[in-house]
Amino acid sequence: MAVHLFALASARGLSQRPYALAGMTTRGRQLPMRKAFPGVGMTALTLLFTSAWASPQALNAYAPLAQLPDWSGAWEPMAMAHPEKEPRPAPPKLTPLYAKQYAAYQEKNRKTPGLNFVSKVANCVPPGLPGSMLQPYPIEFLFTPGRVTILIETYSIVRRVYTDGSPAPTEPDPSYQGTSVGHWEGPGLVIDTTAILPETAPITGILGHGDDLRVSERIQLSSPDVLAITTTLTDPTVFAQPYTFTTHYQRHRDWKIMEYVCAQNNHDSVDDQGHAHFSLEPK
Amino acid sequence: MRKRRVQPTSRTWLRILIGALSAVSAIAIAHHSTAMFEWGKEVPLEGTVVKWEWTQPHTFLWVQSQRQGATAAQYALEGMSPSWLGRRGWNRKSFSPGDKVKLVYYPLKDGRNGGFYVRVTLPDGRTLDALPQRAP
Repeated sequence: MAVHLFALASARGLSQRPYALAGMTTRGRQLPMRKAFPGVGMTALTLLFTSAWASPQALNAYAPLAQLPDWSGAWEPMAMAHPEKEPRPAPPKLTPLYAKQYAAYQEKNRKTPGLNFVSKVANCVPPGLPGSMLQPYPIEFLFTPGRVTILIETYSIVRRVYTDGSPAPTEPDPSYQGTSVGHWEGPGLVIDTTAILPETAPITGILGHGDDLRVSERIQLSSPDVLAITTTLTDPTVFAQPYTFTTHYQRHRDWKIMEYVCAQNNHDSVDDQGHAHFSLEPK
Repeated sequence: MRKRRVQPTSRTWLRILIGALSAVSAIAIAHHSTAMFEWGKEVPLEGTVVKWEWTQPHTFLWVQSQRQGATAAQYALEGMSPSWLGRRGWNRKSFSPGDKVKLVYYPLKDGRNGGFYVRVTLPDGRTLDALPQRAP
């Protein structure tokens, strides 16, 4: 019975999509099951067969992951690990409206060295993409069948990148990290992300963007322990032309990702004008 | 005559670093603006640890100092996150209440008793750097 069902699943190409197996199993065995075991609950049988027989199938789905590059370990932004090795990216070409906003930020920054861009992030609202990939603390990658998951320590952000070949959903709800689909091109992972909340900052110095901001990323090892991420931002509201920059990450095989709950002990919330509170009392 | 090569001070390196970090698309050093501090102005402080908070998004070191003459004053000193410090020799037991410490910090611009600590000398004499710096 089980052999027959799995053969059916494989013949329909489901070996690449193990998540679809449960549904196929249910449909495929419905009639023979009832004949063989009359009176036994369908739910119980589904659980039995799934637990007893789905594992080899799932293992088959995991096997191709061994062909993917080794991205294990924690990856620290090169700007923190070795600042001298991370070149400063060229500034973007902006539309007139956003060029004005950006120039004002740069001028403020020039007058007060070290001045960061003020946004809700100081109040522990997490940054959206691509800002989430430009945080100071490490990230890690998990490979599972049909998916790459990027875990970002700062703000404990999770990015789910679907690589099972299914198309991006039409009109997804905007979210901080957007909706991502990806595919492998040799040793490189290519990710396409849309539906990013328009209130987030596409780059430091610019607050807000158009509804159709698109973030394209290519992630690939540039040396055994350095990961290069080339990001292109496309948004005609903000950028006069697509803006491309490359950042690097240094591998630390022995690091473990830490918990990061921004609201745990934040003394630095800001008001609407961007004035920091900086409480002097222990919480 | 051989010209003596001038080594940049750690402060110069820090300025370079901060400049690099504040570039567009670059990594932010803190989760908030550092504009509230006189960033780069190193002020020494000696005192007794009141409390050590090993927390996200920032650590805090509370120090009682006699600096203001006869009046003891408590200082609130923010620092980098355990995400940074925890991978460079610091931990939740780095300080205990009552420890005598010497430190350097960037003061708050508004004049209140607080700031951002840059490096701290522990009771056993070891000095821990609390900010990323270029290797000289």
